Amino acid sequence: MTVLLIRPDSWNLPLLLHVGGAMALVASVTVAAVALIQGWRTGDPSSASLKRFGARTLLYAAIPSFFVMRIAAEWILSKEHLENSNAAWIGDGFLAGDAGGLLLLIATIVANVAVRRDPDSGLGKLAKVGASLSVVLIALYVFAVWAMTTKPS
Amino acid sequence: MGYSTLLFLHVTSAFTMVTAAGLLLAIALAQRSNRHSATALRLAPAAAILWPIGSLLAIVFGVWLALHDSQYSLGDGWIIAAIVLWVIGGAIGGRLGAGYRKVTASGAAADPSALVLNLALVVTLVVILIDMIYKPGAS
Repeated sequence: MTVLLIRPDSWNLPLLLHVGGAMALVASVTVAAVALIQGWRTGDPSSASLKRFGARTLLYAAIPSFFVMRIAAEWILSKEHLENSNAAWIGDGFLAGDAGGLLLLIATIVANVAVRRDPDSGLGKLAKVGASLSVVLIALYVFAVWAMTTKPS
Repeated sequence: MGYSTLLFLHVTSAFTMVTAAGLLLAIALAQRSNRHSATALRLAPAAAILWPIGSLLAIVFGVWLALHDSQYSLGDGWIIAAIVLWVIGGAIGGRLGAGYRKVTASGAAADPSALVLNLALVVTLVVILIDMIYKPGAS
């Protein structure tokens, strides 16, 4: 198998934005997941603060990072002329990106609705759904990194 | 281990490192708000685990990749630059983690320079990523 180690210079910026956006996305979803899970585990008054922190992190950090990652993904695909490719790793990337985007949107909505409904109490059912979805997202992103780096045929 | 597996492990480790930096930054930002200051340190244990694991594995698999592939050499300028930046980032992350552990253990006041150190860490990681993507000087 031949591996292309040095790519054309024109691919670098979209790739930088794609990888950088993905890293920021994973980091912010993980921060939100840790905050929400810590809020879930504790019964003291800090759980309300952790719920709010997790919900706001999803809204203000994860969602913008997702758009940077996803838009840059389209950009690099067009640079590589792979828009119509049937390669499995590209399909895997779309699966993780688009299904993950939907899960991220649901997690963000339920966590922030939970904060709005009951700002001074613990997680509640809605925020727990947000916490669980955040963990699922992290697993999905590990799968995406595996698909993008190993490029299974 | 093949190139693809090494690349996956290297990139996953780098994601782990960036995630830990995100947790450290979140703690620093939360400490600036009265509403979140008490709870921010609940993020510290996760950062304390992820930072050393991510940074150590990133350099191990990165060096392994450089040795594994004949097109790379540890003497390449962009690889030397990445290693120097990794040492700088490691020192900053280690200091931040130690500071947060101290605050958690003894209830000491947060280090006022933590936000500046966090921003320095973010800049270091961004420059490493640019170096990894652009590979300046690679032929």
